[in-house]
Amino acid sequence: MSGGMGTAELSASSVAGTFLRLKLSLLRNGVRQSKGRSAAFVGSLVVAGLFGVLGLLIMVALRGHEDGPAAGVALVAATALGWAFMPLFVGAADETLDPGRLVMLPLRPRPLLTAQLVASLVGAGPLFTLLLVAGAVVPGARGGAATVVAVCAVALVLLTCTTLSRTLATANAGLLSSRKGRDLAVLSGLVVAFGIQGVNLGFSVLADEDGDGLGPVAAVAEVARWVPPASAVDAVRAAGEGSWGFVAYGLGGTLLACGLLLLWWSRTLTRLMTAPDASTLQAAPESAGARGAAERGLAAWLPEGRTGTVMRRALTYAWRDPKTKMGWAMSLGMGLLLPLVFAVQGNGSVYNACWVAALLGLQMYNQFGQDYSGFWLVAQTIGTDRDAYLELRGRALAIGLIGLPFTCVVVVGSAAAFGAWGSLPDGLGLALALLGALVAAGAVTSARFPYSIPQDNAMKNVAPGQGALAWFSIIGGMLAGGVLCAPVIALTVWAHAQDAAWTWALLPAGAGYGLLLAWAGLRIAAPMTAARLPEILAAVSRS
Amino acid sequence: MSVRGLWKRFGEQVAVSGIDLDLPAGRFVGLVGPNGAGKTTTLSMITGLLRPDSGVVEVAGTDVWRDPVAVKARIGVLPEGLRLFERLSGRELLTYLGRLRGLPADEVDRRTNQLLDVLDLSGAQHKLVVDYSTGMRKKTGLAAALLHNPEVLFLDEPFEGVDPVSAQIIRGVLERYTASGATVVFSSHVMELVESLCDWVAVMAAGRIRAHGPLDEVRGDAESLQSAFLGLVGAHGNPAGDRLDWLGGGGT
Repeated sequence: MSGGMGTAELSASSVAGTFLRLKLSLLRNGVRQSKGRSAAFVGSLVVAGLFGVLGLLIMVALRGHEDGPAAGVALVAATALGWAFMPLFVGAADETLDPGRLVMLPLRPRPLLTAQLVASLVGAGPLFTLLLVAGAVVPGARGGAATVVAVCAVALVLLTCTTLSRTLATANAGLLSSRKGRDLAVLSGLVVAFGIQGVNLGFSVLADEDGDGLGPVAAVAEVARWVPPASAVDAVRAAGEGSWGFVAYGLGGTLLACGLLLLWWSRTLTRLMTAPDASTLQAAPESAGARGAAERGLAAWLPEGRTGTVMRRALTYAWRDPKTKMGWAMSLGMGLLLPLVFAVQGNGSVYNACWVAALLGLQMYNQFGQDYSGFWLVAQTIGTDRDAYLELRGRALAIGLIGLPFTCVVVVGSAAAFGAWGSLPDGLGLALALLGALVAAGAVTSARFPYSIPQDNAMKNVAPGQGALAWFSIIGGMLAGGVLCAPVIALTVWAHAQDAAWTWALLPAGAGYGLLLAWAGLRIAAPMTAARLPEILAAVSRS
Repeated sequence: MSVRGLWKRFGEQVAVSGIDLDLPAGRFVGLVGPNGAGKTTTLSMITGLLRPDSGVVEVAGTDVWRDPVAVKARIGVLPEGLRLFERLSGRELLTYLGRLRGLPADEVDRRTNQLLDVLDLSGAQHKLVVDYSTGMRKKTGLAAALLHNPEVLFLDEPFEGVDPVSAQIIRGVLERYTASGATVVFSSHVMELVESLCDWVAVMAAGRIRAHGPLDEVRGDAESLQSAFLGLVGAHGNPAGDRLDWLGGGGT
């Protein structure tokens, strides 16, 4: 490196300034790119601000409450936990933190570290955290000394949280940039979805108990106040009470933790920027292992010809493709969980188990989008309406192969759980009719309103600009499914109003009607698909 | 194969503006042009993957857009961008496509084995396509296009991003294929490659055919196809001129 200008050492502050400007430009350009994005960005800022202020106000209101300081400690512990795990779910949004983009620049780890830390303090997340943490120290801050400690604690906690998040993200960068890691990240959406249902259940249980609900929070705080960065918040309370040992422990411990995290971050960053990327290494030839054997076993059970071929591919994808797998796990898991949530909330009924049929029927939507741009391979083999019909029927059968027994199990299971054997036949009939109706509507919307599913982004299931189309087709399709089912629903209601003895007949009627609907839907969708192949291909390969 | 009055617009932009072209059968045909010339759009419309705004495409006497069944059985396509079913292994992908094409199971097995072997993919046949390198993906795409023994093969940039070893293998397979009387149409912007492989070329620029015919005719008096091509598309000399004088020489 002789002669060039690139070897001049840059100072930490100039690098930090550059990064700050870079981050602001990235934010600004992200907003400029499209109206939807700017709305999303402004929306996220507003939401972060509102919830942050709300949290702040709640904490201010808790000033004087005996458990107030404990609530602050628990809040900061939860916030730190969020900072630790959120980047793994939402990851890779911040390009200023991507070591891969910076590896060619002549930057030393220390200025780079400072710069990245400064850059990551800008944004909606840090603003939200600042408001929350500021709120968390309010209940404990009594007196001048405590106020000084509180200000130090807020700064320290914010710094520790961002450092924690960056350190873990950097440590996991190898994982996040590998295929297996990205697959995992897609599935992490499940954690969020099921977590929401879990919280929902938790609230239902909490609401049943009397009292102000701060008891469990105090118990959490009792442990959390020994762990940085929550210990810094406890130091504020300790300063108000004059227990200086606790103050020293709380602030010192958090400072130490922050330092250790910085050290770890610096080490992993250096390693990341100097070690080779594993993705270019030649992998050893793989032998046909258990996977091949298992699939040959499956193939033996499937029908011959196009139907079996299509079913086999659909089932393989349900297992191997992370987005399809997530769709299935969501349908199956939610189908099982929703009746349970309804039951805990006191709305337990066999009819609520029909949700499982609706969720499974949704799998039929946007079938060709699920092929991504590999759809051209399918399009090359579809010449006649018959080919299109077999293709769609194979996909519907693959859904039925899993969906049908699962629906039966869930409906029978709920009937057993509520002891409502009397409404089993009509409940099951209704569920099967719904499944058939949604498969029919799904087949038609797949052909008429296809949209592409971006493969590179774990969190996005619709390409930019096609969101309205996706929502329209799903909501419209669900409404259509409901309308198609109306005769069976009306019949069920009428049978119950009459207190008829023939409610058992609703099972074969519903099942038969569902089958008829599914068949008709496939018949209508097939010529549409065959005639619109180039249009479908164009729609699903947009990114 | 013949093309008459082929047009395609994307919004304001005209990608292909009225192409008329007759390609000879049983030849190695090269479609060359700079990026954005409309090569991919043209090939997509010829192979039935993109609906033209107007125009007629006939492959072996059959209208592509009127009788797609007959045409799809007779052509093989390797589109740009290597879009495949990423979560199938190479072998599963070929088996799946062979079955969709209506070939019997044991025939699909036999052809898949041979193609994987010849294309040097046997070692990776059980790896998922998503983990393949560019060369492996191109070779898998070529195998998928050849599986049903088409009469005409359309390849969009088959050698782009491919290492020399894989390129040689692809080349060998294509030469073996055309020797039996089949037609290969491929697009490329590597002139040396087109010059050494093709006996017939068509030069495209800005959505139009600038020249077409046997290689020697298109090359004319120019010393190579490269310089003939640059002349045809209107690119000359050193664009930098006296600028960039600070570049190189070890100064600062």
